[in-house]
Amino acid sequence: MLSLKNISKYYKAGNLKTSILNNINLDVDAGEFVSIMGPSGSGKSTLLNIIGMLDEPTDGYHYFLNQPIHQLKEKQRQALYKENIGFVFQAYHLIDELTVYENIETPLLYHNIKSDERKALVADMLDRFQIVGKKDLFPSQLSGGQQQLVGIARALIVSPKLLLADEPTGNLNSKQGDEIMELFKKLNKEEGMTIIQVTHSEKNAEYGSRIINLLDGTVESSKNV
Amino acid sequence: MLKNYFKIAWRNIKRHKAYSAINVAGLAIGVAACLLIFVVVQFELSYEKFQPNYKNIYRIVLQQDLGDGISYSEGTPYPITAALRADFPQVKLAALNTAYNSQFTVPANANNFGADNKKFVEEIGVMFMQPQFFDIFKYKWLSGDASVLNAPNMVVVDRSTAKKYFGDWQSATGRVIKMDNQINLKVAGVIEDVPGNSDLPLKVLVSYATLKTHLHEYNADDSWNTVSSNHQVFMLLPANATVSNLNAQLKVFTKKHYGGNDNDHKVHFLQALSDLHYNTRFGNSLGDHITNKATIRTLSLIAVLIILMASINFINLSTAQSVGRSKEVGIRKVLGSSRAQLIKQSLGETTLIVLFALLIAIAIAKLALPFLKNIASVPDDISLFSIGSLLFLLTTTLVIVLISGIYPALVVSGFRPVLALKNKITAASVGGVPLRRVLVVAQFSISQLLIIGTIVAVRQMNYINSADLGFNKEAILVIPGSTDSVSLQKSAPFKAQLLQTPGVKNVTFTADQPSSQNNWTTNFYFDHNTTDKNYQTSLKFGDADYFKTFGLRFKAGHAYTQSDTTNGVVINETFAQKVGVHDYNSIIGKSVKLGNGQWRPIVGVVEDFKTNTMRDAVRPIVLVQNKKQQGIVAVKLSTSNFAGTVASVQKQWEHTYSDYAYSGYFLDQNIAEFYKQENQLALVYKIFAMIAVFISCLGLYGLVSFMVVQRTKEVGVRKVLGASVSSIVYLFSKEFMLLITISFIIATPIAYYMMNSWLQNFVFRIPLSVGVFVLAIVSSMLVAWLTVGYKAVKAALATPVKSLRSE
Ligand SMILES: Nc1ncnc2c1ncn2[C@@H]1O[C@H](COP(=O)(O)OP(=O)(O)OP(=O)(O)O)[C@@H](O)[C@H]1O
Ligand SMILES: [Mg+2]
Repeated sequence: MLSLKNISKYYKAGNLKTSILNNINLDVDAGEFVSIMGPSGSGKSTLLNIIGMLDEPTDGYHYFLNQPIHQLKEKQRQALYKENIGFVFQAYHLIDELTVYENIETPLLYHNIKSDERKALVADMLDRFQIVGKKDLFPSQLSGGQQQLVGIARALIVSPKLLLADEPTGNLNSKQGDEIMELFKKLNKEEGMTIIQVTHSEKNAEYGSRIINLLDGTVESSKNV
Repeated sequence: MLKNYFKIAWRNIKRHKAYSAINVAGLAIGVAACLLIFVVVQFELSYEKFQPNYKNIYRIVLQQDLGDGISYSEGTPYPITAALRADFPQVKLAALNTAYNSQFTVPANANNFGADNKKFVEEIGVMFMQPQFFDIFKYKWLSGDASVLNAPNMVVVDRSTAKKYFGDWQSATGRVIKMDNQINLKVAGVIEDVPGNSDLPLKVLVSYATLKTHLHEYNADDSWNTVSSNHQVFMLLPANATVSNLNAQLKVFTKKHYGGNDNDHKVHFLQALSDLHYNTRFGNSLGDHITNKATIRTLSLIAVLIILMASINFINLSTAQSVGRSKEVGIRKVLGSSRAQLIKQSLGETTLIVLFALLIAIAIAKLALPFLKNIASVPDDISLFSIGSLLFLLTTTLVIVLISGIYPALVVSGFRPVLALKNKITAASVGGVPLRRVLVVAQFSISQLLIIGTIVAVRQMNYINSADLGFNKEAILVIPGSTDSVSLQKSAPFKAQLLQTPGVKNVTFTADQPSSQNNWTTNFYFDHNTTDKNYQTSLKFGDADYFKTFGLRFKAGHAYTQSDTTNGVVINETFAQKVGVHDYNSIIGKSVKLGNGQWRPIVGVVEDFKTNTMRDAVRPIVLVQNKKQQGIVAVKLSTSNFAGTVASVQKQWEHTYSDYAYSGYFLDQNIAEFYKQENQLALVYKIFAMIAVFISCLGLYGLVSFMVVQRTKEVGVRKVLGASVSSIVYLFSKEFMLLITISFIIATPIAYYMMNSWLQNFVFRIPLSVGVFVLAIVSSMLVAWLTVGYKAVKAALATPVKSLRSE
C-alpha cells in the first residue's frame, strides 16, 4: 500500500543543517497495523506527517497506492490524500466553533457528499461511538476521551484506507487509552483498515502487528508482533 | 457547505463580540456616512439632466467690465430677445423674467375678489415666460399647452401650486388670480411639478407679453443699458452650429446693438445648461441654490476618505484576528479542504460581516436621512434608494470584500497545516505590525485632515456670526412691502402709528437693509467733475431714520433731513477713500451726482459697514432717500415683551396693507441665511471629523490590542528585569505617539492647502494660525490616549508570571 524509499528530511537554519530523518525505508501492506515508537525528538511525528502528506521530505521516493507522491502536483496529492487518509491527533484538533455533529460532518462537506447521505453517515458514526447524546455539544464541553472519540469518528467517516494516529492516547488516562486501542484493533481486524500509529506506550504498541523503533531519524529496529 | 461557513462565521462573530462590534460598527458608520454623501452628490450632479435636450441648451450670459474688474451676469437687457430673433432666425430661443417674492391673490370662489381672498407669496418660481421656452425645455402638460402663453395676462401654474391655490389642479383652468395686486391673470394651463433637481422651478408662469406693460414694476427697462439678472435668455444650439461659432457671432451681435461705453465693455456668450448649477460667477440662481463644484469635490473626497478608513480598519482587524484562526485552518486542511475552499470560506465570512455591516449602515442612513437637509440643500422627500445608490452599495460591498477579504484569505489559506496545528503561526507571518502601522498612519492622517478642516470652518463661521458688521442687526424686524402709490401714501402715517406702539424704538422705510446680497449700482460724478468716475458706486435707499434704526455710526457729519425726495447724501468710508479723500470732515459739503440725476451735497460719512456678505469686500456706497423706492419697513424693537411687540407690529401692518401678504423676517436670521452653504459645510466637517476620529480610534484600539497580545511576553520579561509600569506604558504609547506625529506631518500641508483655498472665498476671514494645527495634533493625541491608555496600562500592570507561563 505504501512504500518509502530513502526518505530524508533536513531543516536548514542559516548554515546549520539538522537532519531529522535519515534514509528511511519502509513498506506497509494493506491491512497492517503498525506502531512507531522512539524517544522524543526522534522524528516520529515528522515521519507520520510525511506519510500523511502533511509534510514533504527533502529527499527520497514516496509511493502510495502505487502512485509516486514525490512527483505529484499539489492538487493530485490533495485528491489522493482526501480519498484515502484519515488523521487522528494527540491534541484531538477539533474545531472549537463546531458541535460534535458538525465536526464529524465537516470532512463529508469536503467530499461533496449530499445532505441526506451526510445525515445518515453521521448518525451511523454517532451510534457506533455511542455519542448520540453529545451531538449538539461543543468540544469544550467534552472530556478528553470523548473528544478523541469524536476525532476518530471524524477521521473514519470518509472510510479512509489508511488511518494515521499521532499519539492518539497521549492525553488520555489508561482506561480511555485501552478503549481507543481496542477500537483500532477491531477496525484493523474486522474492516481490514490499515493503521499506522505513533505511541510512547509499549502496551499500546503491542496492539499492532508490527513495531518500528526510530532513533535519531533512522529505523533502529522493526519487529512483527 | 455554505451553510457550514456561515454557521462558523456567525459563531465567530458571537464569540468575539467586542472585536466583531468594532469591526461592524466602524464599517457600518463609514458606509452609512458615504451613502448619505453619495445621495447628496448624486442629487447635486443630476441637475437638469432629465431634460431631453440637456446637452444642447445654453443660456446667453454677459461679461462686462464696469471699471472695477471683469464681472459676469446671467442677465440680459430686455430688447435683446427681439434683436436675437431677428439676427438668429434659425435658433430656437426664449426669454424669461423672474420675479422674486411676488404675491398672488386668489379669490375664494368664482372669480370675484373679495374680503375672503387668499394671498400667497412665492419666493421663487414666478416667471414671465415666452411660449418658445417649451420648444427648448420639455415638461408634461396636464392641461393646456405652450401656446396659451402667447396672449398677455395668461398664467400657467404647476400641479402643486394649482392644488395650493384652488384645491386641485383640475379646477384651476379658467380661474382668475391677481399678481402683486395689480395684474389680473387667467389660468390657462397646468404643468406637472418640475423635479427638485432643477434650477428652473416653474411654479407660476405668467405670459411674457404681460411684462411689456409692467416693465418698471419688475426691474426691467426697454433699454440696452439696463441689465437685470432677472431677465434671462435660453436657447437650443442648432444641429449644425458650434458653441465657439455662436460665441463669435454673439460678439458681432453685441457690437452691433450696444451703444456708447457699453460697446467696448460688454460681450454676450453662451453658458451651457450643464454649468448652470455649479458656476458661482453667475450670482443668484432662479432656483434654490447654486453648488460650487469644489464643494461637491470636497464632499466626495470626504466620502472616499471615510470609506477608505473604514476598510483599512476592517483589513487591520481581520488579519490580526486570522492569527487566532490558524489552528482551525490547519484542521480543515487535514480534513481535506483545498486551498480554494479555504479562501472561499474566509471570503464568505468577510462577506457575511460586510453584509451585516451594510444592513446596519442602511438602517443608520435611513434614520439620518431626515437630517440630511441640515448639511445639504436637498429636497425633503429625497430618497435613499436609487439605481445609483444601490449600485454604489453593491460596488462598495464588492470592493470592501475584495480588499479586506482577499488579503487575509490568501494569508490564512497559505498556512502550512503542520505549523498551523502546532500554533506556530505568529503575527509576523501575516503581515504583522509594519503594514498595520502604515494603515494607522493613513487613518490618522485622514482624521487630522478633517479635524483641521473642522477647526478652521467652525472658527470662520463663528467669526462671521459674531463679526462687527458696522451696524446693529439685533431685534430688527424687516417687513417687505410694495412701492405702489397707494402703499407709499400709507408710509408716513403707518410709521407714526408704529412709533406709538410700546416696544418699538425706531422705524425706517427703505429699499434695502445694510447687509444684503443685492447690488444696486450706478455710475457717478464727484465734486462737479464733468466726467464720471470709471467705477460704479452702490446705492442704498432709506429715509432719515435709517441710520438710527440700524445703528450706523457717523465718522463725520450727520444724517440727511427727512424728505420724500433726495436732498443730501451720506457716503461710507470706502467711498471717501476711493475718491481720494482721507479727512472725512473735508468731504462734507462736496457734491455727488448719481447717474443722470442732480448734484447733491454730502452731509455725512458713516463708518464702513458690511454692505454685502463677508465673502465680499466693502463697496463704496451712497445712501440716499427716495420715497418711491422705499417699500420695506424695518422696525427696531426693544427686547422686553419682544414677541408681543412683534405680534402687534404684524397686526398693524396687515391691517394697513390689507391687500398684501405679510412676510416679515428678523434681520439677524436673514443675515445668517447668507452663509447657509458655508454653515452646512462646517457641519459636514464637524460630523465627518467625528466619524473619522471614531473610526481611527477603533483602528488604533485594534492595533494596540494586537500589539499587547504580541508583546505580552516581552512585557513580562521586562518586568522581571525590573521595568516600572510607567516605562512599559511608555513602551506602548511611544509607538502611537510617533504614528500620530507622522500622520500630522502628512495631514498638515494637505489641510493647509485645502482650508486656505476655502478661506479665499471670504474677503473677511480668520488667519490660518499655528494654533489650529497645534489644536489638531493635541486633540488627536488626547483621543488616542483615551483609546489606548487603558489597554497599555492594563498590559503594564499584568502579573509577569502569567504571561511567561503561557509559553
Ligand atoms: N519546523 C521545524 N524546524 C526545525 N526543526 C524541527 C521542526 N519541526 C520539528 N523539528 C525537529 O525535528 C525533530 C523531530 O521532531 P518530531 O516532532 O518528529 O519528533 P517526535 O519524534 O514526534 O517527538 P515527540 O515524541 O516529542 O512528539 C525534533 O528535534 C524537532 O526539534
Ligand atoms: Mg511527536
